[in-house]
Amino acid sequence: MKDNKLIEFQNVSYTYDEENEASSEFAVSDISLTVCKGEFVVILGHNGSGKSTLAKLSNSIFVPTSGKVYVNGMDTADEKNEFAIREKVGVVFQNPDNQIVASIVEEDVAFGPENLGIAPKIIRERVDSALKAVGMEEYRFHETHRLSGGQKQRVAIAGMIAMLPECIVFDEPTAMLDPKGRREVLETARKLNSQDGISVVLITHFMEEAVFADRIYVMDKGKILAEGTPSEIFSDEKLLLSAGLDVPEAVRIAARLRKNGVPLREDILTEEDLIDSFIEVMNS
Amino acid sequence: MIKDITIGQFFPGNSFIHKLDPRAKIVITFVFISALFLCKNFFSLGLLFLSALIAIAISRISFKVILNGLKMIVVLVVFTGILQLLYNDDGAVLWKPFEQLDFAVTTGGVFSSVFIIIRIVSLILFSSLLTYTTSPTMLTDAIERLLSPLKLFKVNVNSLAMMMTIALRFIPTLIEEIDIIMSAQKARGADLETGSLTERAKALVPIFIPLIVSSFRRAYELAFAMECRCYTGDNKRTRMKEMKLSVRDYISFAVLIILVAAVVGTSFFMNSSFILFERVI
Repeated sequence: MKDNKLIEFQNVSYTYDEENEASSEFAVSDISLTVCKGEFVVILGHNGSGKSTLAKLSNSIFVPTSGKVYVNGMDTADEKNEFAIREKVGVVFQNPDNQIVASIVEEDVAFGPENLGIAPKIIRERVDSALKAVGMEEYRFHETHRLSGGQKQRVAIAGMIAMLPECIVFDEPTAMLDPKGRREVLETARKLNSQDGISVVLITHFMEEAVFADRIYVMDKGKILAEGTPSEIFSDEKLLLSAGLDVPEAVRIAARLRKNGVPLREDILTEEDLIDSFIEVMNS
Repeated sequence: MIKDITIGQFFPGNSFIHKLDPRAKIVITFVFISALFLCKNFFSLGLLFLSALIAIAISRISFKVILNGLKMIVVLVVFTGILQLLYNDDGAVLWKPFEQLDFAVTTGGVFSSVFIIIRIVSLILFSSLLTYTTSPTMLTDAIERLLSPLKLFKVNVNSLAMMMTIALRFIPTLIEEIDIIMSAQKARGADLETGSLTERAKALVPIFIPLIVSSFRRAYELAFAMECRCYTGDNKRTRMKEMKLSVRDYISFAVLIILVAAVVGTSFFMNSSFILFERVI
């Protein structure tokens, strides 16, 4: 387990107001968490819980005010490691428009590898496979500004994949998308995790997006309130309410039904689970 | 309405012209434009105009698109045409509308007016062909490489090119945003269409301030995103698309040299076509 650690936060605090460190409020304070290789971790929290700061701390964009962040054992505070870390951990941000650099899809995907100084032929190969991985290969010559929100976000993801990261941190990637775009992006993230073995850290406030996680961290006011599997977290309604979050509809309905004597399974997270379990009960 | 702007628009394709090295295309365009200003008679101008048309035909860009692009400069063309008509007094008087005023339409005026119109149209045709057939990024890449000798003078060519790429990338995004802000302000009762010129100019303030604010926010976020993708601003970047001059480019250079030779030759050694023109009349 120990060698498996990809990202490790050790008692990390961060404040945007570095000059008045003592008096200022911390965006995140005393956070410890780990992300292992191949894991799908969700960080849940409502607006202002400090979860976006976490994303920027994970790849050396921000350096902790106190505490340490290690990526593959490399200290993010050490400038020498900066680029090695950013190659390993990619971040996809909320607004797709503000992270696309070039006007043409394939040229944008090539931006990262170009920065790494890789030979043109290899860049071409990486761009091809990255576009394939997000299902955008037909759009390679399209203009980026004409794509839908979900497509733009997938181009941004491809731009990360082309750098061959071990982990992609998604900072509320679906907050600005319509339901269709949201589905596209989530499916892409899950596929990258399950098929390509890339670790995924999904930062979100949508409960439905958290159900696929291996582990969930719940954040509020810059602190981690709880850690656990989706069924552990969702069964604790009090905890979620105190973090300003909502229990997913399916989980809530299942809990009510159970309370009223319907013997449903315990691990219900999604609508499909609920329906399946309900049919089981009806049949028996 | 703002979305109709087509300057710098790129139409992807697979033609001979599309496949030319963008550096070659830029150089050829510059030489062509210089040739346009060198030519002194209708023969050489016609030659250049014709070759511009042939180049368009080869590029397989539809003439409709080209005509749309020309629409934008109609006013300019008509205006310069009229100016030439009025200010050139050479040759025979064709029409003198006001006896007491000292101006008349002369053969020289007609000649230079037609000449200048064809010259401007060919210039626009040829230079828009450059942007129609070359993606903005390729164009900036090419400019970067063409300017790279300036590195000797400590000019940071790479950063300049990156700035151009980002500017081009954000033009459509910002245009979209202007539309959104305009609608938002209209929904709040802003009146953008009526009133005097100063009133309308003032009405634009609540459009541009949000636009500027949001541009700063975008710049801030984009800077993070670029950093996440290991951008440093130094010169160690490589490029996915290599630029190599191919046979195609050499063929185009050869054609260009012949064309320029023909233009220079006819301009200096042929009778001025003005005289021919007069004889016809």
